[in-house]
Amino acid sequence: MIFTEAKRYYVERRLWERMAATGSVSFTDYFAHLRTDMHDEIQQFVNAFTVNETYFYREDYQLRCLTNDLVQERVSDKQVGESIRIWSAACSTGEEPYSIAMWLLENWPRVDDYFIEIVGSDIDTRALDSARAGTFGNRALMRLSPELIGKYFAELPDERWQIVSQLRDSVSFSFVNLMEPGDTRQHGRFDVIFCRNVLIYFDDASRRLAAENLYENLLPGGFICLGHTESMSRISPLFEARRFADAIVYQRPAGARS
Amino acid sequence: MSGLAKTVLVVDDAALMRVYYRTILEGAGFLVEEALNGLEALETLLTRPVDLLVVDINMPQMDGLTFLRTLREKAGPMASTPALVTSTEAATADFAAARAAGANYYLVKPVERERLVQIARLLSGVPS
Amino acid sequence: MPLVRKPAQVAAAQPKASFAEVLTGLAAADPEERWRAARAAAELPDSAAALAAALPQETDARIREAMFTSMARIGTRDSIAGMLPTLRSDDAALRTGALDALRSSVIAKQELLPLLLNDPDVDVRILSCELARGLPSDGASRSLCALLDREVEINVCAAAIEVLAEVGNHTALPALARCAQRFPQTAFLTFSIKLATDRITAAGSRD
Repeated sequence: MIFTEAKRYYVERRLWERMAATGSVSFTDYFAHLRTDMHDEIQQFVNAFTVNETYFYREDYQLRCLTNDLVQERVSDKQVGESIRIWSAACSTGEEPYSIAMWLLENWPRVDDYFIEIVGSDIDTRALDSARAGTFGNRALMRLSPELIGKYFAELPDERWQIVSQLRDSVSFSFVNLMEPGDTRQHGRFDVIFCRNVLIYFDDASRRLAAENLYENLLPGGFICLGHTESMSRISPLFEARRFADAIVYQRPAGARS
Repeated sequence: MSGLAKTVLVVDDAALMRVYYRTILEGAGFLVEEALNGLEALETLLTRPVDLLVVDINMPQMDGLTFLRTLREKAGPMASTPALVTSTEAATADFAAARAAGANYYLVKPVERERLVQIARLLSGVPS
Repeated sequence: MPLVRKPAQVAAAQPKASFAEVLTGLAAADPEERWRAARAAAELPDSAAALAAALPQETDARIREAMFTSMARIGTRDSIAGMLPTLRSDDAALRTGALDALRSSVIAKQELLPLLLNDPDVDVRILSCELARGLPSDGASRSLCALLDREVEINVCAAAIEVLAEVGNHTALPALARCAQRFPQTAFLTFSIKLATDRITAAGSRD
């Protein structure tokens, strides 16, 4: 692998991510982890450096889980016409919340029975501006079929694509710092939260606080989806792991109040 | 033998302890899975059943006794997985607490190789 | 399309709870009120003592978690010290919950650790070794090696070795060797000292 100067920031972030995940306090310590391949660290390291740029329908097993199981369970005690609220809690330039919207429209037969509200948030305001504009390069679309692209995107010059306005207008974007209860509480409670590959960047104290904030943002029985290398079981005891056919997700117990 | 090998889930936050148990148990013909705390053990058990749990008491996020109490209340066969609790707590009160939480056996750390293998075979139903 | 966009702000900002409200809330019968009070207490440093007093009575594990988080966030000496008695609790969930919260406290790691590693209670010494994990390599090695050289309890040595294997550096090697000599009959210590030594040596060869 050759890293250009422009990739420095990215490389550092990924290294910090692995150091945090392994509890390493220095690069030397982290190299010791790699050398002894403790807990399969070499594979984790490779993953961190290869599965990086975000794109539409990334980690689609979780999207399958969303339509096969999560929303099904969430609507079991909802009336037709009630709302389902979904939050993409670190949406960067918008691929995730737009993917959720497209996936639901394409794959959930009951999508017309409910009002589905999708909120995207991030701490990076430039990323949020870009998400609102909804323009993407070819790479972001690599997992989408030509039919899907034709249906949900308008072609722009220079191999750029823009999400159709109808879809752009149906996702709201806002600034949220997950460690700030004043930010998170404003958005009320959700049926499903996607919070993928975010908590790994936090230190112990921030992670605890973010987990409590996210817990408050879930309706009882609501679900939170983390990235595929993350486990809530090492972060917080507030949630319960649930296993579905396509994924393990974490749930705010239906009986637990707050 | 390998087709009949029993699986042990070692639940301990100490990495060296997990390696120690793994070395001993694999040497005695067991397959070994690991979890770093009680929550992770519950998550592992959602994916696959095991024949025996070796459980530490003091662990982050969910301690061993809370883990056993939670497990014993679950529905299905995994709730009755035999559990050996190993802990540094030597007081008899901890034996009683472990038993009340659903432990089938209790060993005080550090656990000797022969004793671990003997109890693991007994609890997981390996003929001696 | 069924997708709808609502105004971004669906809930009005909650006014900050007062000290009196937190005190009342922590003692409330309704778990929902106790959770809110435990969370709100983080913004009110004066509530540290009330949190410490309410901890042993709290039966809901999630509320206890929130209380520990708030005490760690208040982060004053009093607030951190208020968690220490819980390390001695007979309830494993309480003492490990306290340890999880103390891990995130700089005061606990830097100021209280030396006292805790000298605590007469074996179990407190075992748990406290974990706090050294958050120290820089030199500091962690220094504290834990000093402990290893004076420690008579095998399980405390094992806890120290566990952390040294992860964060220790070459300065820890002599103390590890001495420990191995003192307890040659304990198979687990021999095993873990060998593993720790190998890991530290492997890490050192990369410098």
